[in-house]
Amino acid sequence: MTALDLSALSARQVRDGIARGDFSAREAADAAYARIDALDGEVHAFLQLMPELAYAAADRVDAARAAGDELPPLAGVPAGIKDNMNLLGTRTTCSSRMLENYESVYDCTAVRRMLDAGALPIGKLNMDEFAFGSSTENSAFGPTRNPWDLERVPGGSSGGSAAAVAAGMVSVSLGSDTGGSIRQPAALTGTVGMKPTYGRVSRYGVIAFGSSLDQIGPFTKNVDDSALLLEAIAGEDPRDATSATEAVEAYTAAVEGGVRGLRVGLATDILEVEGCAAEVKQSVLDAAEVFASLGAEVGEVALPSARHGLSAYYIIGPAEASSNLARFDGIRYGHRADDAEDVLDLYMRSRAEGFGPETIRRIMLGTYALSAGYYDAYYGQAQKARTRIIEDFRSAFERFDVVLTPTTPEPAFRFGEKSDPFTMYLNDFYTIPVNLAGNCAMSVPSGLCSSTGMPMGLQIIGDYFAETTVFRAAAAYEAALGFDTTPPLVRALAR
Amino acid sequence: MGKDRLLDVLERYEAVIGLEIHTEITAANTKMFCGCPVAFGGEPNTRVCPVCLGMPGALPVPNEAAIEWTVLAGLATDCDIALWSQFHRKQYFYPDMPKDYQISQYDLPFCSNGMVDVEVDGPGVAERLDLDGDVVADGPVPVVEDGGYRVPIGITRIHLEEDTGKMVHVGGSEGRIAGATHSLVDFNRAGTPLMELVSEPDIRTPEEARRFAQKLRSIWLVLGVSDCSMEEGSMRVDGNVSIRARGQVEFGTKTEIKNMNSFKALHDALAYEIVRQADLLDAGEAVVQETRHWDATARRTSGLRSKEEAHDYRYFPEPDMVPFSFEPEWIASLAAQLPELPDARRDRYIAEYALPKADAAMLAADSETGRYFDATVEITGADRAKQAANWMLGDLAALLNAEGIAIGDARVTPAMLAELIGLVEDGTISGKQAKQVFAEAAETGDAPGAIVEARGMKQVSDTGAIEAAVAAVLEANPAEVESYRAGKTSVIGFFVGQVMREMRGQGNPAVVNEVLRRMLG
Repeated sequence: MTALDLSALSARQVRDGIARGDFSAREAADAAYARIDALDGEVHAFLQLMPELAYAAADRVDAARAAGDELPPLAGVPAGIKDNMNLLGTRTTCSSRMLENYESVYDCTAVRRMLDAGALPIGKLNMDEFAFGSSTENSAFGPTRNPWDLERVPGGSSGGSAAAVAAGMVSVSLGSDTGGSIRQPAALTGTVGMKPTYGRVSRYGVIAFGSSLDQIGPFTKNVDDSALLLEAIAGEDPRDATSATEAVEAYTAAVEGGVRGLRVGLATDILEVEGCAAEVKQSVLDAAEVFASLGAEVGEVALPSARHGLSAYYIIGPAEASSNLARFDGIRYGHRADDAEDVLDLYMRSRAEGFGPETIRRIMLGTYALSAGYYDAYYGQAQKARTRIIEDFRSAFERFDVVLTPTTPEPAFRFGEKSDPFTMYLNDFYTIPVNLAGNCAMSVPSGLCSSTGMPMGLQIIGDYFAETTVFRAAAAYEAALGFDTTPPLVRALAR
Repeated sequence: MGKDRLLDVLERYEAVIGLEIHTEITAANTKMFCGCPVAFGGEPNTRVCPVCLGMPGALPVPNEAAIEWTVLAGLATDCDIALWSQFHRKQYFYPDMPKDYQISQYDLPFCSNGMVDVEVDGPGVAERLDLDGDVVADGPVPVVEDGGYRVPIGITRIHLEEDTGKMVHVGGSEGRIAGATHSLVDFNRAGTPLMELVSEPDIRTPEEARRFAQKLRSIWLVLGVSDCSMEEGSMRVDGNVSIRARGQVEFGTKTEIKNMNSFKALHDALAYEIVRQADLLDAGEAVVQETRHWDATARRTSGLRSKEEAHDYRYFPEPDMVPFSFEPEWIASLAAQLPELPDARRDRYIAEYALPKADAAMLAADSETGRYFDATVEITGADRAKQAANWMLGDLAALLNAEGIAIGDARVTPAMLAELIGLVEDGTISGKQAKQVFAEAAETGDAPGAIVEARGMKQVSDTGAIEAAVAAVLEANPAEVESYRAGKTSVIGFFVGQVMREMRGQGNPAVVNEVLRRMLG
């Protein structure tokens, strides 16, 4: 029997194949673990495998099918979970020494909804520590490698989530996006990454980084799967006071809609920023041509305040993070220093030992920005910039249905290439303004860079709760481009 | 330190006092940001969940009932209610605070700019030395009234926050942290909705501080927002106090006094602190701005380590919740739900029943007592309200006090008390008999009428029977009759006693008196 190849199937095909009886959910789980066995020694996407949970879920799906029950939308779909999301029966480490042995005491709402839709929890995925980073180099447990080139980063912070989908270890995965942590690794690994509108998906149970910025979203191989997974996890949650009450639209139904008459804005002013690779820029201009050829009305739009996004983000994000990470104090859970002299010593040593350098940097940045005498100059100014960015997008969406930018200024870089934190931060130039404004946006592959062979990503930004429109645009572009999402590493396996 | 020392100091210095009063909203039933129940004590760490333990990824969801209670408290104390407000994070590390920040309010509290009237009477009036038209440097001017004075005290704000857990220090003395080998934390209390009221620095004497806190407690009790137990810590009062030379406008350096666990402690701690500060200034020393701890046993305040003082709380808007926008109509609907407040009830009792102010205030101080009084008067009619008040503040109060029970739990119901008053007023029994009937009713729960019947206590008002008894007494005591007729009318009391004895105590005293005077005259 030829083993199932998850790289060759979409999540929907896996689910439908099980429903038809072509293969079982157990076989889908087998395929995931076989691929992990084959490649994860090199890729290192997973921090933890949960075969007991995954096979138990698979058996439920197979039993449901045997009983003739209608299967849920993600039945038997192998799924990965970024390791900042709680799930009972697993450790949730945030790739930090601080939480190396922390066992979840409850379920994250988005994870629970994904599993309730029939997905198989294959394992927990590597990330930059507490989601601080754009390469997974900040993981306390070693970086994840890009399946397209093991010498290069998969992006971050959800690098494990991206790499696992790219390498066919899972059909889908969940990531979280605070400043680009879904879209940037999606772009760097040739996968599809969606950051929903702020409030669209419950944040309950994802370990907070920037509470006003964080959103959970799907990594998939195609746009249809992205819509399928978002449909399963989106919606109001009484446990998250910032979750939106708006009804969840039928995203999968919208995918086929086409783009005739769609108003597409090309964000030309920020295409000209320093550091944006010529080929990346060209791929976005080409994408605009594709949209025009499909019957969309393409125009130019300016986002003049987007340039302030990075500065505002590196005040607001760390400010919120410094507060959110205060609870890791060695008192109730997590790493506790031995032989502390008193409670202050316990705090200081537990945190100094438990946190990595980038985490400490962000906490110090945020603490400083909120300090008496500096608040107005930093946090207050950053909030003003945020308001300006919100206004930019508001006026853009008065004229356009979607806005196009590159997802990242350049394709995947090599390990250690961005040793200066600021050059690393620049990688999120295009994604950060969207988090500050709260809009939805997704990254879809826009081709391979001719010099490196690495994937590039197109960012499609939508208005608040306009996920349907974004999916529609992304699906049309995806179909027109015909990008092959299979990395060489996986193709080599088949030979 | 005697009271005289305080009065002596107050001759030369004026105290400036502001209070911070934390009240747990025990009426909210569940915690501020999660569904855990609100209660006192219990097995440690049993009323907890991921939210109130600050587990990673857990999020706060605001308790709307607690917000409503806070707005009601603000409306009851004449506050402005914000149409736009939000929570902030107040950040500091301490093991009793699970998230190492407290969700509180900063520049946008739910309630601000309120006021309550404080009445001072009795010996505490002596602490206020500017009642006779002396210059008041600043702050509200007291208004002299019968037996005391009234002064309005401003309320800066009332905001809502979450309570912390409780630390138990093990190995030291009396549970204090000094000398402890380790500490345990109980998070049962963590997340309990906590209202913090901050007063203006309008208070000038320890007695005013006590009366202010008592007034707020009675308002909270009438609203039903909290059980306001100072022993269990559901109401906690901290005081900021400074002194300045009489006539001086600038404030002196203040200290903050904590651990005042009763109204008496509040008064005594502030009095102690005023004298302590005066002694420092008199000796040419400076008052150090610090937090001080009241020790009720040693009857003194002592400084806490100043290291704990240097806080930069780094407040910023709580991003886990959206700001609150209140409709004026919603606020108006809450205002319409306000029960009759103690001052209004007191004034009604004075206006409708001509009760003395002190009596009216006592009956109006809490809803249960007020409701009991109203229910009694409903039956007796307004013209016997005075008698109802006397019974409640006399025999009934003594009984409740002796048995340590609430008025709602008394076996003598308003209906029974009204019946008893009726029996006295229609002459069925004497006042003396009524006291016996009350005592028996309190013990057995039997109706007063039934007790009178069973005991054969019915008072005799029949003139014929009384005349016969009077005639017999006059005949047996010719000498006393002689002296009465000679002008020594005070022997009437002797005759009344003799007649009552003749009638085994059942003669109507009023009729006996009348018949005696007629037959002697």
